[in-house]
Amino acid sequence: MCLLSMQCRHRYPGGFELDIRLDVDVRFSALFGPSGSGKTTILSMIAGLVRPQAGTIAVAGQTLVDTAAGRCLRPEERSVGFVFQESLLFPHMTVKANLRYGERWRRRKRRSVSFDRVVEVLEIGHLLGRYPHNLSGGERQRVALGRALLSGPELLLMDEPLAALDAALKARVLAYLERVVAEWDVPTLFVTHAQADVRRAADQVILVDKGRLLASGPPDEVLTRREPLSWTDAAGPVNLLRIERLEPCGDETHVRIGEQVLHLPARRPAGEAPHFVQFSPSDVVLSRRDIPDLSCRNHLVGRVRQVVRLDDSVFVAVDVGQILWAVVTPQSASDLGIENGCEVTCLMKVHALKFVG
Amino acid sequence: MSPLPLAFLTAGEWSALRLSLQVAVCAATAGLPAAVLIGYWLARSRFPAKWLVDVAVNLPLVLPPVVTGYLLLVLFSPAGPIGGLLESWLGLRIVFTWLGAALAAGVVSFPLMVRAVRLALEQTDPRLESAARSLGAGPVAAFFTVTLPLARRGLVAGWMLAFARSLGEFGATIMVAGNIAGRTRTLPLAIFSLANRPGGVDRAWRLVALSIVLACAALAVSEILERRGRAKQA
Repeated sequence: MCLLSMQCRHRYPGGFELDIRLDVDVRFSALFGPSGSGKTTILSMIAGLVRPQAGTIAVAGQTLVDTAAGRCLRPEERSVGFVFQESLLFPHMTVKANLRYGERWRRRKRRSVSFDRVVEVLEIGHLLGRYPHNLSGGERQRVALGRALLSGPELLLMDEPLAALDAALKARVLAYLERVVAEWDVPTLFVTHAQADVRRAADQVILVDKGRLLASGPPDEVLTRREPLSWTDAAGPVNLLRIERLEPCGDETHVRIGEQVLHLPARRPAGEAPHFVQFSPSDVVLSRRDIPDLSCRNHLVGRVRQVVRLDDSVFVAVDVGQILWAVVTPQSASDLGIENGCEVTCLMKVHALKFVG
Repeated sequence: MSPLPLAFLTAGEWSALRLSLQVAVCAATAGLPAAVLIGYWLARSRFPAKWLVDVAVNLPLVLPPVVTGYLLLVLFSPAGPIGGLLESWLGLRIVFTWLGAALAAGVVSFPLMVRAVRLALEQTDPRLESAARSLGAGPVAAFFTVTLPLARRGLVAGWMLAFARSLGEFGATIMVAGNIAGRTRTLPLAIFSLANRPGGVDRAWRLVALSIVLACAALAVSEILERRGRAKQA
Protein backbone atom coordinates (compact mmCIF):
# COMPACT_ATOMS: atom_id res chain seq x y z
CA MET A 1 0.00 0.00 0.00
CA CYS A 2 1.26 3.45 -0.82
CA LEU A 3 2.08 5.27 2.38
CA LEU A 4 1.96 8.68 0.78
CA SER A 5 0.63 9.67 -2.60
CA MET A 6 0.69 13.26 -3.73
CA GLN A 7 -0.03 15.16 -6.89
CA CYS A 8 -0.22 18.92 -6.49
CA ARG A 9 0.11 22.18 -8.34
CA HIS A 10 0.54 25.56 -6.72
CA ARG A 11 1.67 28.90 -8.05
CA TYR A 12 2.99 31.60 -5.76
CA PRO A 13 2.43 35.31 -6.45
CA GLY A 14 6.21 35.76 -6.83
CA GLY A 15 6.24 33.37 -9.79
CA PHE A 16 7.51 30.19 -8.14
CA GLU A 17 5.48 27.24 -9.33
CA LEU A 18 5.24 23.88 -7.66
CA ASP A 19 4.16 20.94 -9.82
CA ILE A 20 4.89 17.76 -7.96
CA ARG A 21 3.90 14.13 -8.18
CA LEU A 22 5.35 11.68 -5.73
CA ASP A 23 4.69 8.31 -4.16
CA VAL A 24 6.32 6.99 -1.03
CA ASP A 25 6.12 3.35 -0.03
CA VAL A 26 9.10 2.85 2.26
CA ARG A 27 9.59 3.48 5.97
CA PHE A 28 12.25 6.16 5.82
CA SER A 29 12.43 8.51 2.88
CA ALA A 30 14.18 11.77 2.26
CA LEU A 31 12.96 14.74 0.28
CA PHE A 32 16.19 16.20 -1.01
CA GLY A 33 17.06 19.25 -3.04
CA PRO A 34 18.84 22.61 -2.91
CA SER A 35 17.44 25.51 -0.89
CA GLY A 36 14.38 27.07 -2.47
CA SER A 37 13.39 23.95 -4.38
CA GLY A 38 9.96 23.73 -2.71
CA LYS A 39 10.64 20.99 -0.18
CA THR A 40 9.16 22.82 2.81
CA THR A 41 6.09 23.76 0.75
CA ILE A 42 5.52 20.11 -0.09
CA LEU A 43 5.72 19.19 3.56
CA SER A 44 3.40 22.03 4.56
CA MET A 45 0.84 20.82 2.04
CA ILE A 46 0.92 17.31 3.42
CA ALA A 47 0.53 18.65 6.96
CA GLY A 48 -2.34 20.93 5.96
CA LEU A 49 -0.58 24.20 6.71
CA VAL A 50 -0.73 25.24 3.07
CA ARG A 51 -3.67 24.53 0.78
CA PRO A 52 -2.62 23.59 -2.76
CA GLN A 53 -4.43 25.28 -5.60
CA ALA A 54 -5.00 21.96 -7.33
CA GLY A 55 -4.27 18.33 -6.58
CA THR A 56 -4.71 15.34 -4.32
CA ILE A 57 -2.89 14.05 -1.28
CA ALA A 58 -3.51 10.70 0.37
CA VAL A 59 -1.79 9.19 3.41
CA ALA A 60 -2.18 5.51 4.31
CA GLY A 61 -5.18 5.22 2.06
CA GLN A 62 -7.00 8.21 3.54
CA THR A 63 -7.62 11.17 1.21
CA LEU A 64 -6.47 14.36 2.87
CA VAL A 65 -6.82 16.69 -0.07
CA ASP A 66 -8.84 16.48 -3.25
CA THR A 67 -9.34 19.94 -4.65
CA ALA A 68 -11.60 18.67 -7.42
CA ALA A 69 -14.00 17.25 -4.83
CA GLY A 70 -13.60 20.29 -2.59
CA ARG A 71 -12.03 18.24 0.18
CA CYS A 72 -9.19 19.62 2.26
CA LEU A 73 -8.84 18.33 5.79
CA ARG A 74 -7.65 20.79 8.41
CA PRO A 75 -4.26 20.16 10.04
CA GLU A 76 -5.80 18.89 13.28
CA GLU A 77 -7.87 16.34 11.37
CA ARG A 78 -4.87 14.76 9.65
CA SER A 79 -2.89 11.95 11.23
CA VAL A 80 0.35 13.65 10.28
CA GLY A 81 3.05 14.61 12.78
CA PHE A 82 5.38 17.48 12.05
CA VAL A 83 8.82 18.22 13.49
CA PHE A 84 9.84 21.75 12.57
CA GLN A 85 13.33 23.01 11.83
CA GLU A 86 13.32 25.25 14.90
CA SER A 87 11.54 22.61 17.00
CA LEU A 88 8.82 25.17 17.95
CA LEU A 89 8.41 23.89 21.49
CA PHE A 90 5.87 25.89 23.50
CA PRO A 91 7.98 28.27 25.58
CA HIS A 92 5.46 28.62 28.40
CA MET A 93 5.29 24.87 29.03
CA THR A 94 7.81 22.48 30.57
CA VAL A 95 9.21 19.62 28.50
CA LYS A 96 6.73 17.27 30.13
CA ALA A 97 3.81 19.56 29.33
CA ASN A 98 5.01 19.89 25.74
CA LEU A 99 5.12 16.11 25.41
CA ARG A 100 1.70 15.73 27.02
CA TYR A 101 0.29 18.27 24.57
CA GLY A 102 0.95 15.80 21.79
CA GLU A 103 -0.86 13.11 23.76
CA ARG A 104 -3.71 15.37 24.85
CA TRP A 105 -5.06 16.07 21.40
CA ARG A 106 -4.56 12.58 20.06
CA ARG A 107 -7.76 11.37 18.47
CA ARG A 108 -9.01 8.05 19.72
CA LYS A 109 -8.59 6.16 16.48
CA ARG A 110 -4.92 6.99 16.20
CA ARG A 111 -2.18 4.62 17.23
CA SER A 112 -1.32 4.64 20.89
CA VAL A 113 2.24 5.53 21.84
CA SER A 114 3.54 5.02 25.38
CA PHE A 115 4.73 8.21 27.08
CA ASP A 116 7.31 6.40 29.19
CA ARG A 117 8.70 4.50 26.23
CA VAL A 118 9.12 7.71 24.21
CA VAL A 119 10.97 9.32 27.11
CA GLU A 120 13.16 6.23 27.44
CA VAL A 121 14.05 5.84 23.76
CA LEU A 122 14.82 9.52 23.30
CA GLU A 123 16.63 9.75 26.67
CA ILE A 124 14.84 12.90 27.80
CA GLY A 125 13.77 11.76 31.26
CA HIS A 126 16.15 14.15 32.98
CA LEU A 127 14.75 17.09 31.02
CA LEU A 128 11.07 16.74 31.91
CA GLY A 129 10.98 19.59 34.44
CA ARG A 130 12.90 22.07 32.31
CA TYR A 131 11.65 24.82 30.07
CA PRO A 132 12.57 24.91 26.34
CA HIS A 133 14.88 27.89 26.68
CA ASN A 134 17.03 25.85 29.08
CA LEU A 135 17.62 23.09 26.53
CA SER A 136 20.36 22.71 23.95
CA GLY A 137 19.53 22.49 20.24
CA GLY A 138 19.82 18.72 20.13
CA GLU A 139 17.68 18.30 23.27
CA ARG A 140 15.00 20.54 21.79
CA GLN A 141 14.84 18.46 18.63
CA ARG A 142 14.51 15.25 20.64
CA VAL A 143 11.63 16.71 22.64
CA ALA A 144 9.98 17.97 19.45
CA LEU A 145 10.30 14.49 17.99
CA GLY A 146 8.78 12.95 21.13
CA ARG A 147 5.92 15.44 21.09
CA ALA A 148 5.08 14.68 17.46
CA LEU A 149 5.27 10.93 18.11
CA LEU A 150 2.90 11.12 21.05
CA SER A 151 0.18 12.50 18.81
CA GLY A 152 0.11 9.06 17.19
CA PRO A 153 0.73 9.99 13.56
CA GLU A 154 0.40 7.70 10.55
CA LEU A 155 3.14 9.70 8.85
CA LEU A 156 5.91 11.71 10.45
CA LEU A 157 7.24 14.76 8.61
CA MET A 158 10.50 16.40 9.53
CA ASP A 159 11.55 19.71 8.04
CA GLU A 160 15.33 19.97 7.99
CA PRO A 161 15.50 18.68 11.55
CA LEU A 162 19.29 18.71 11.60
CA ALA A 163 19.87 22.05 9.90
CA ALA A 164 20.20 24.09 13.09
CA LEU A 165 22.66 21.63 14.67
CA ASP A 166 26.43 21.37 14.44
CA ALA A 167 28.04 18.32 12.83
CA ALA A 168 28.60 16.28 16.00
CA LEU A 169 25.06 16.86 17.19
CA LYS A 170 23.58 16.04 13.80
CA ALA A 171 24.90 12.53 13.98
CA ARG A 172 23.54 11.99 17.49
CA VAL A 173 20.06 13.25 16.65
CA LEU A 174 20.03 11.18 13.48
CA ALA A 175 20.84 8.16 15.61
CA TYR A 176 17.84 8.91 17.83
CA LEU A 177 15.68 9.26 14.75
CA GLU A 178 16.80 5.86 13.51
CA ARG A 179 15.93 4.42 16.91
CA VAL A 180 12.47 5.94 16.77
CA VAL A 181 11.76 4.55 13.32
CA ALA A 182 12.96 1.12 14.42
CA GLU A 183 10.86 1.18 17.62
CA TRP A 184 7.52 2.47 16.35
CA ASP A 185 7.76 1.76 12.66
CA VAL A 186 6.30 5.17 11.78
CA PRO A 187 6.72 6.06 8.11
CA THR A 188 8.93 9.12 8.05
CA LEU A 189 9.59 11.69 5.37
CA PHE A 190 12.35 14.08 6.17
CA VAL A 191 13.45 17.10 4.26
CA THR A 192 17.08 17.95 3.93
CA HIS A 193 19.42 19.89 1.70
CA ALA A 194 22.52 17.99 2.88
CA GLN A 195 23.53 14.89 0.98
CA ALA A 196 25.30 13.42 3.98
CA ASP A 197 22.00 13.12 5.90
CA VAL A 198 20.34 11.38 2.99
CA ARG A 199 23.11 8.88 2.45
CA ARG A 200 23.10 7.83 6.07
CA ALA A 201 19.46 7.38 6.80
CA ALA A 202 17.13 7.10 3.83
CA ASP A 203 15.76 4.03 2.05
CA GLN A 204 14.28 6.19 -0.68
CA VAL A 205 15.31 9.60 -1.95
CA ILE A 206 12.92 11.97 -3.67
CA LEU A 207 14.90 14.52 -5.61
CA VAL A 208 13.29 17.92 -6.19
CA ASP A 209 14.47 21.12 -7.74
CA LYS A 210 12.61 24.29 -8.74
CA GLY A 211 9.30 22.85 -7.60
CA ARG A 212 9.54 19.71 -9.70
CA LEU A 213 10.32 16.07 -9.11
CA LEU A 214 13.59 15.05 -10.75
CA ALA A 215 13.88 11.45 -9.61
CA SER A 216 12.81 9.00 -6.96
CA GLY A 217 14.57 5.83 -5.87
CA PRO A 218 17.34 4.35 -3.71
CA PRO A 219 20.06 6.83 -2.64
CA ASP A 220 22.87 5.21 -4.64
CA GLU A 221 20.85 5.49 -7.81
CA VAL A 222 19.37 8.94 -7.34
CA LEU A 223 22.43 10.67 -5.94
CA THR A 224 24.60 9.62 -8.85
CA ARG A 225 22.51 11.56 -11.33
CA ARG A 226 23.86 14.71 -12.95
CA GLU A 227 21.79 17.17 -10.90
CA PRO A 228 22.79 16.24 -7.34
CA LEU A 229 26.39 15.89 -8.47
CA SER A 230 26.39 19.38 -9.92
CA TRP A 231 24.98 21.12 -6.87
CA THR A 232 27.44 23.05 -4.77
CA ASP A 233 27.61 23.62 -0.98
CA ALA A 234 25.84 21.28 1.40
CA ALA A 235 23.55 19.91 -1.30
CA GLY A 236 26.56 18.82 -3.30
CA PRO A 237 28.05 15.34 -3.32
CA VAL A 238 29.94 14.08 -0.33
CA ASN A 239 31.77 10.86 0.38
CA LEU A 240 30.58 8.80 3.33
CA LEU A 241 32.50 5.61 3.95
CA ARG A 242 31.15 3.18 6.49
CA ILE A 243 33.75 2.12 9.06
CA GLU A 244 33.71 -0.79 11.50
CA ARG A 245 36.69 -1.12 13.80
CA LEU A 246 39.07 1.67 14.67
CA GLU A 247 42.69 0.70 15.24
CA PRO A 248 44.75 3.41 16.91
CA CYS A 249 48.28 3.46 15.53
CA GLY A 250 50.60 6.11 16.87
CA ASP A 251 49.43 9.52 15.75
CA GLU A 252 46.96 8.00 13.30
CA THR A 253 43.91 5.76 13.35
CA HIS A 254 43.61 2.90 10.89
CA VAL A 255 40.43 1.52 9.42
CA ARG A 256 39.81 -1.26 6.92
CA ILE A 257 38.07 -0.46 3.65
CA GLY A 258 37.71 -3.80 1.92
CA GLU A 259 41.21 -5.20 1.82
CA GLN A 260 42.94 -1.84 2.12
CA VAL A 261 43.85 0.40 5.05
CA LEU A 262 42.58 3.94 5.39
CA HIS A 263 44.72 6.32 7.43
CA LEU A 264 42.76 8.75 9.55
CA PRO A 265 43.56 11.43 12.12
CA ALA A 266 44.21 10.23 15.67
CA ARG A 267 41.06 10.04 17.68
CA ARG A 268 40.64 10.61 21.36
CA PRO A 269 38.55 7.70 22.65
CA ALA A 270 35.82 9.93 24.04
CA GLY A 271 32.16 9.21 23.41
CA GLU A 272 30.70 6.65 21.07
CA ALA A 273 32.67 5.16 18.20
CA PRO A 274 31.93 6.92 14.93
CA HIS A 275 30.43 4.96 12.05
CA PHE A 276 31.39 7.03 9.04
CA VAL A 277 34.24 8.91 7.50
CA GLN A 278 33.27 11.97 5.50
CA PHE A 279 35.24 13.85 2.88
CA SER A 280 34.63 15.82 -0.26
CA PRO A 281 35.15 14.46 -3.79
CA SER A 282 37.35 17.48 -4.43
CA ASP A 283 39.78 16.15 -1.79
CA VAL A 284 40.51 13.05 -3.87
CA VAL A 285 43.40 13.06 -6.34
CA LEU A 286 43.37 10.37 -9.04
CA SER A 287 46.40 8.76 -10.53
CA ARG A 288 46.85 6.00 -13.12
CA ARG A 289 49.82 4.67 -11.19
CA ASP A 290 50.89 4.63 -7.58
CA ILE A 291 53.23 7.50 -6.79
CA PRO A 292 55.78 7.08 -3.98
CA ASP A 293 57.36 9.83 -1.85
CA LEU A 294 54.19 11.81 -1.27
CA SER A 295 53.02 13.36 1.99
CA CYS A 296 49.61 11.84 1.23
CA ARG A 297 49.15 8.82 3.50
CA ASN A 298 46.18 7.29 1.70
CA HIS A 299 46.72 5.48 -1.58
CA LEU A 300 43.62 3.41 -2.27
CA VAL A 301 43.56 1.34 -5.43
CA GLY A 302 40.30 0.56 -7.19
CA ARG A 303 38.36 0.24 -10.43
CA VAL A 304 36.30 2.98 -12.01
CA ARG A 305 32.62 2.00 -11.92
CA GLN A 306 30.93 5.12 -13.25
CA VAL A 307 31.91 8.36 -14.97
CA VAL A 308 29.52 11.33 -15.02
CA ARG A 309 30.54 14.17 -17.29
CA LEU A 310 29.17 17.62 -16.42
CA ASP A 311 29.96 20.90 -18.16
CA ASP A 312 32.99 21.88 -16.13
CA SER A 313 33.81 18.80 -14.12
CA VAL A 314 33.89 15.03 -14.32
CA PHE A 315 32.74 12.87 -11.41
CA VAL A 316 34.36 9.46 -11.14
CA ALA A 317 33.06 6.63 -8.94
CA VAL A 318 35.83 4.28 -7.85
CA ASP A 319 35.31 0.95 -6.09
CA VAL A 320 38.02 0.68 -3.44
CA GLY A 321 36.07 -1.82 -1.36
CA GLN A 322 33.32 0.80 -1.02
CA ILE A 323 32.39 3.33 -3.67
CA LEU A 324 34.04 6.70 -3.38
CA TRP A 325 33.67 9.70 -5.67
CA ALA A 326 36.39 11.94 -7.03
CA VAL A 327 35.98 15.08 -9.12
CA VAL A 328 38.47 16.10 -11.78
CA THR A 329 38.52 18.56 -14.65
CA PRO A 330 37.43 17.31 -18.07
CA GLN A 331 40.98 17.91 -19.34
CA SER A 332 42.47 15.70 -16.62
CA ALA A 333 39.92 13.00 -17.27
CA SER A 334 40.83 12.92 -20.92
CA ASP A 335 44.61 13.20 -20.35
CA LEU A 336 44.53 10.27 -17.93
CA GLY A 337 42.13 8.30 -20.10
CA ILE A 338 39.71 7.70 -17.24
CA GLU A 339 36.85 5.46 -18.21
CA ASN A 340 34.76 2.62 -16.83
CA GLY A 341 36.75 -0.37 -15.76
CA CYS A 342 40.19 1.19 -15.66
CA GLU A 343 42.32 0.93 -12.52
CA VAL A 344 43.16 4.11 -10.62
CA THR A 345 44.78 5.08 -7.34
CA CYS A 346 42.90 7.49 -5.08
CA LEU A 347 45.11 9.79 -3.05
CA MET A 348 43.68 11.47 0.04
CA LYS A 349 45.33 13.43 2.79
CA VAL A 350 44.69 12.36 6.36
CA HIS A 351 43.59 15.90 7.21
CA ALA A 352 40.85 15.89 4.61
CA LEU A 353 39.05 13.01 6.34
CA LYS A 354 36.54 13.63 9.14
CA PHE A 355 34.91 11.24 11.55
CA VAL A 356 31.14 11.47 11.61
CA GLY A 357 29.00 9.78 14.25
CA MET B 1 -3.43 72.22 53.81
CA SER B 2 -3.72 69.22 56.05
CA PRO B 3 -1.99 65.93 55.15
CA LEU B 4 -4.14 63.19 53.70
CA PRO B 5 -5.73 61.10 56.48
CA LEU B 6 -7.56 58.37 54.61
CA ALA B 7 -9.54 57.31 57.64
CA PHE B 8 -11.13 60.73 57.67
CA LEU B 9 -12.62 60.71 54.19
CA THR B 10 -16.19 61.89 54.18
CA ALA B 11 -19.05 59.74 52.93
CA GLY B 12 -19.06 61.69 49.68
CA GLU B 13 -15.35 61.10 49.17
CA TRP B 14 -15.64 57.35 49.85
CA SER B 15 -18.50 57.20 47.40
CA ALA B 16 -16.42 58.92 44.72
CA LEU B 17 -13.51 56.55 45.34
CA ARG B 18 -15.72 53.46 45.31
CA LEU B 19 -17.48 54.57 42.13
CA SER B 20 -14.18 55.30 40.38
CA LEU B 21 -12.79 51.87 41.19
CA GLN B 22 -16.02 50.14 40.24
CA VAL B 23 -16.25 51.99 36.93
CA ALA B 24 -12.58 51.46 36.06
CA VAL B 25 -12.57 47.73 36.85
CA CYS B 26 -15.80 47.22 34.93
CA ALA B 27 -14.67 49.26 31.92
CA ALA B 28 -11.32 47.52 31.62
CA THR B 29 -12.69 44.01 32.18
CA ALA B 30 -15.70 44.34 29.88
CA GLY B 31 -13.53 45.67 27.09
CA LEU B 32 -10.93 42.91 27.32
CA PRO B 33 -12.63 40.14 25.27
CA ALA B 34 -13.38 42.55 22.43
CA ALA B 35 -9.86 43.97 22.62
CA VAL B 36 -8.39 40.46 22.38
CA LEU B 37 -10.56 39.56 19.37
CA ILE B 38 -9.84 42.77 17.51
CA GLY B 39 -6.18 42.77 18.55
CA TYR B 40 -5.79 39.19 17.29
CA TRP B 41 -7.45 39.98 13.98
CA LEU B 42 -5.30 43.08 13.49
CA ALA B 43 -2.14 41.16 14.40
CA ARG B 44 -2.73 38.16 12.15
CA SER B 45 -4.98 39.23 9.31
CA ARG B 46 -3.65 40.19 5.91
CA PHE B 47 -6.91 41.77 4.82
CA PRO B 48 -6.01 44.73 2.55
CA ALA B 49 -8.49 47.19 4.14
CA LYS B 50 -7.29 46.34 7.65
CA TRP B 51 -6.21 49.94 8.14
CA LEU B 52 -9.86 51.03 8.16
CA VAL B 53 -10.55 48.97 11.25
CA ASP B 54 -7.35 50.28 12.79
CA VAL B 55 -8.49 53.87 12.27
CA ALA B 56 -11.95 53.18 13.67
CA VAL B 57 -10.49 51.54 16.79
CA ASN B 58 -8.08 54.42 17.39
CA LEU B 59 -10.67 57.15 16.92
CA PRO B 60 -11.58 57.54 20.62
CA LEU B 61 -7.88 58.15 21.29
CA VAL B 62 -7.79 61.28 19.18
CA LEU B 63 -11.31 62.62 19.47
CA PRO B 64 -12.01 65.05 22.32
CA PRO B 65 -13.55 62.90 25.08
CA VAL B 66 -16.53 65.24 25.21
CA VAL B 67 -17.24 64.45 21.56
CA THR B 68 -17.02 60.73 22.24
CA GLY B 69 -19.38 61.26 25.19
CA TYR B 70 -21.81 63.18 23.04
CA LEU B 71 -21.92 60.40 20.42
CA LEU B 72 -22.44 57.77 23.11
CA LEU B 73 -25.23 59.86 24.65
CA VAL B 74 -26.99 60.07 21.31
CA LEU B 75 -26.72 56.29 20.80
CA PHE B 76 -27.53 55.13 24.30
CA SER B 77 -30.18 57.57 25.51
CA PRO B 78 -33.70 56.10 25.74
CA ALA B 79 -34.57 57.93 22.55
CA GLY B 80 -31.47 56.62 20.78
CA PRO B 81 -31.16 53.45 18.62
CA ILE B 82 -29.26 51.26 21.13
CA GLY B 83 -30.58 52.83 24.32
CA GLY B 84 -34.15 52.43 23.14
CA LEU B 85 -33.67 48.70 22.43
CA LEU B 86 -31.96 48.11 25.77
CA GLU B 87 -34.75 49.82 27.63
CA SER B 88 -37.57 48.02 25.86
CA TRP B 89 -35.99 44.51 25.80
CA LEU B 90 -34.08 44.44 29.08
CA GLY B 91 -35.49 47.38 31.00
CA LEU B 92 -31.93 48.64 31.22
CA ARG B 93 -31.02 52.31 31.31
CA ILE B 94 -27.39 53.19 30.65
CA VAL B 95 -27.29 56.98 30.59
CA PHE B 96 -27.02 58.86 33.87
CA THR B 97 -26.14 55.68 35.74
CA TRP B 98 -22.75 54.19 36.74
CA LEU B 99 -23.09 51.86 33.74
CA GLY B 100 -22.97 54.94 31.55
CA ALA B 101 -19.79 56.02 33.29
CA ALA B 102 -18.33 52.55 32.71
CA LEU B 103 -19.36 52.64 29.04
CA ALA B 104 -17.78 56.06 28.53
CA ALA B 105 -14.56 55.03 30.27
CA GLY B 106 -14.50 51.72 28.41
CA VAL B 107 -14.84 53.29 24.97
CA VAL B 108 -12.23 55.94 25.65
CA SER B 109 -9.68 53.45 26.98
CA PHE B 110 -10.41 50.73 24.39
CA PRO B 111 -7.77 51.84 21.84
CA LEU B 112 -5.07 51.63 24.51
CA MET B 113 -6.05 48.08 25.35
CA VAL B 114 -6.21 46.99 21.71
CA ARG B 115 -2.79 48.48 21.09
CA ALA B 116 -1.20 46.59 23.99
CA VAL B 117 -2.91 43.32 23.09
CA ARG B 118 -2.01 43.62 19.42
CA LEU B 119 1.63 44.27 20.25
CA ALA B 120 1.75 41.24 22.53
CA LEU B 121 0.14 39.02 19.88
CA GLU B 122 2.44 40.29 17.14
CA GLN B 123 5.36 39.23 19.28
CA THR B 124 3.97 35.70 19.58
CA ASP B 125 5.26 33.40 16.86
CA PRO B 126 2.25 32.40 14.71
CA ARG B 127 4.08 29.19 13.81
CA LEU B 128 3.50 28.01 17.36
CA GLU B 129 -0.18 27.87 16.52
CA SER B 130 0.69 25.80 13.44
CA ALA B 131 2.66 23.47 15.67
CA ALA B 132 -0.33 23.13 18.01
CA ARG B 133 -2.63 22.36 15.09
CA SER B 134 -0.25 19.78 13.68
CA LEU B 135 -0.54 18.05 17.06
CA GLY B 136 -4.32 17.86 16.77
CA ALA B 137 -5.55 21.04 18.48
CA GLY B 138 -8.24 23.00 16.65
CA PRO B 139 -7.76 26.72 15.92
CA VAL B 140 -9.72 27.85 19.02
CA ALA B 141 -7.94 25.38 21.29
CA ALA B 142 -4.58 26.42 19.84
CA PHE B 143 -5.41 30.06 20.55
CA PHE B 144 -6.41 29.46 24.17
CA THR B 145 -3.67 26.97 25.07
CA VAL B 146 -0.74 28.48 23.21
CA THR B 147 -1.21 32.02 21.89
CA LEU B 148 -3.16 33.57 24.74
CA PRO B 149 -0.89 32.33 27.57
CA LEU B 150 2.13 33.61 25.67
CA ALA B 151 0.53 37.02 25.20
CA ARG B 152 -0.75 37.30 28.76
CA ARG B 153 1.77 39.95 29.80
CA GLY B 154 0.45 42.17 27.04
CA LEU B 155 -3.11 41.49 28.10
CA VAL B 156 -2.37 42.43 31.70
CA ALA B 157 -0.51 45.54 30.55
CA GLY B 158 -3.47 46.47 28.37
CA TRP B 159 -5.90 45.97 31.23
CA MET B 160 -3.78 48.10 33.57
CA LEU B 161 -3.55 50.88 30.98
CA ALA B 162 -7.30 50.82 30.42
CA PHE B 163 -7.91 50.77 34.17
CA ALA B 164 -5.64 53.76 34.78
CA ARG B 165 -7.14 55.70 31.88
CA SER B 166 -10.68 54.90 33.09
CA LEU B 167 -9.87 56.20 36.56
CA GLY B 168 -9.09 59.56 35.06
CA GLU B 169 -11.89 59.80 32.53
CA PHE B 170 -13.88 63.05 32.76
CA GLY B 171 -15.23 64.52 29.52
CA ALA B 172 -17.10 61.52 28.15
CA THR B 173 -18.25 60.48 31.61
CA ILE B 174 -19.88 63.80 32.44
CA MET B 175 -21.72 63.74 29.08
CA VAL B 176 -23.07 60.19 29.33
CA ALA B 177 -23.48 59.71 33.05
CA GLY B 178 -23.88 63.22 34.37
CA ASN B 179 -22.49 64.32 37.72
CA ILE B 180 -24.91 62.77 40.19
CA ALA B 181 -23.56 62.51 43.71
CA GLY B 182 -23.46 58.94 44.97
CA ARG B 183 -24.46 57.52 41.58
CA THR B 184 -22.10 58.75 38.86
CA ARG B 185 -19.79 61.24 40.61
CA THR B 186 -16.40 59.56 40.12
CA LEU B 187 -13.19 61.07 41.54
CA PRO B 188 -12.45 63.45 38.62
CA LEU B 189 -16.05 64.68 38.67
CA ALA B 190 -15.96 65.09 42.45
CA ILE B 191 -12.76 67.15 42.21
CA PHE B 192 -14.34 69.33 39.54
CA SER B 193 -17.48 69.89 41.62
CA LEU B 194 -15.51 70.70 44.80
CA ALA B 195 -13.03 73.01 43.11
CA ASN B 196 -15.90 75.15 41.81
CA ARG B 197 -17.36 75.71 45.27
CA PRO B 198 -16.16 78.39 47.66
CA GLY B 199 -13.94 76.94 50.39
CA GLY B 200 -13.75 73.54 48.70
CA VAL B 201 -10.01 73.82 47.90
CA ASP B 202 -8.91 71.79 50.94
CA ARG B 203 -11.26 68.95 50.27
CA ALA B 204 -10.49 69.07 46.54
CA TRP B 205 -6.80 68.76 47.42
CA ARG B 206 -7.46 65.59 49.40
CA LEU B 207 -9.18 63.96 46.41
CA VAL B 208 -6.42 65.18 44.10
CA ALA B 209 -3.83 63.50 46.33
CA LEU B 210 -5.94 60.34 46.38
CA SER B 211 -6.09 60.34 42.57
CA ILE B 212 -2.31 60.70 42.37
CA VAL B 213 -1.82 57.83 44.83
CA LEU B 214 -4.17 55.61 42.80
CA ALA B 215 -2.39 56.42 39.54
CA CYS B 216 1.02 55.72 41.10
CA ALA B 217 -0.27 52.45 42.55
CA ALA B 218 -1.54 51.36 39.13
CA LEU B 219 1.84 52.16 37.57
CA ALA B 220 3.72 50.40 40.36
CA VAL B 221 1.66 47.23 39.99
CA SER B 222 2.19 47.35 36.24
CA GLU B 223 5.94 47.71 36.73
CA ILE B 224 6.10 44.86 39.27
CA LEU B 225 4.19 42.55 36.95
CA GLU B 226 6.44 43.52 34.06
CA ARG B 227 9.57 42.79 36.07
CA ARG B 228 8.23 39.50 37.35
CA GLY B 229 7.37 38.52 33.81
CA ARG B 230 10.86 39.39 32.61
CA ALA B 231 12.51 37.53 35.48
CA LYS B 232 10.50 34.43 34.71
CA GLN B 233 11.68 34.46 31.12
CA ALA B 234 15.34 34.79 32.07
